[in-house]
Amino acid sequence: MNWDLLTVAVMVGAANWAFRALPILARTDRLAAGGWLERFLSATGPAAIATLFVASILPALVPEVATLLPVITGTLAVLATWFARHSVVLATLAGALAHGATVWLIT
Amino acid sequence: MSVERPSFLSGLSASLPIVMGYFPIAFSFGVAATRAGFTPLEAFALSLIIYAGASQFLALALLSSGAPVLVSAFTLIAMNLRHVLYGPALMRAAGREAGTRHAWAWAWGLTDEVFGQALGALARGQRFSEPYMFGLGLGAYVAWVSGTVVGAFAGGGALDQWPALSAGLGFMLPALFLALLLSIMNRRQLPVIAVAAVATVAGTLAISATSGILLGMLAGALAGLVRR
Repeated sequence: MNWDLLTVAVMVGAANWAFRALPILARTDRLAAGGWLERFLSATGPAAIATLFVASILPALVPEVATLLPVITGTLAVLATWFARHSVVLATLAGALAHGATVWLIT
Repeated sequence: MSVERPSFLSGLSASLPIVMGYFPIAFSFGVAATRAGFTPLEAFALSLIIYAGASQFLALALLSSGAPVLVSAFTLIAMNLRHVLYGPALMRAAGREAGTRHAWAWAWGLTDEVFGQALGALARGQRFSEPYMFGLGLGAYVAWVSGTVVGAFAGGGALDQWPALSAGLGFMLPALFLALLLSIMNRRQLPVIAVAAVATVAGTLAISATSGILLGMLAGALAGLVRR
């Protein structure tokens, strides 16, 4: 075992646990009740999910049909399935399936 | 609105899209780790102890290039700073009476995708429960760690023979984020979502992908302050 690797892993893992758990254990959401922090926190969820979607799709937005077309069909499949069934699981699977099928068809 | 508190098994089944998205990414991490000269045991240790995708890939680059331990650690820690916001945002949606007795354990699994899935379920009217959080988090964590181990032992090229499957699995997480976004979207949140999206693109193009994510989240959350 590489000890530098283990040291870095333990430091980063401990920080990750602290970032994820300590704000919950301190119930910072209760301290925020009614104030500007509450509005900030309630906007954090939608902002985070929108950010993660944009960040995950951004590298594929290039002027190249082989890369762009599967992203378009995958995205349309997620939208269509969501509006038809209102199921996160089905919409996700439909998007991945449409993306994979498009890659299979054009390669 | 559902009155029942969702069970551990319900959380485990809700983790399915995350499991299907995590496994191939963790698999490629395992492959990348062994290609960078690390052993399968070391790849396993990184996934088990750090459990944060992007920073693990960066850890490989930093450690294999001989970057100092402290510089590497603080760079990787800074990448995950956004997670500070997830717990309070989730508990705010869960309500004041939501239990947090076991949060010291289930909060470890509060990754981007687990947070999104849990918040989406609450937005759809599901009640908060710690067993559900354990189920959701455990499914994702096991997929991440096992994907890493399989990738580390399989070596490079295993998915290369199946490009369509590999591409479909690679689109699982963007598809999940989009579906989650649709599930929590309402007219009040549109300015927040638009500001977050624009700031992410601007930050990514101007600085880096990590900065884009942090800027997008902060700008979107700040947009929640200015509208009333």
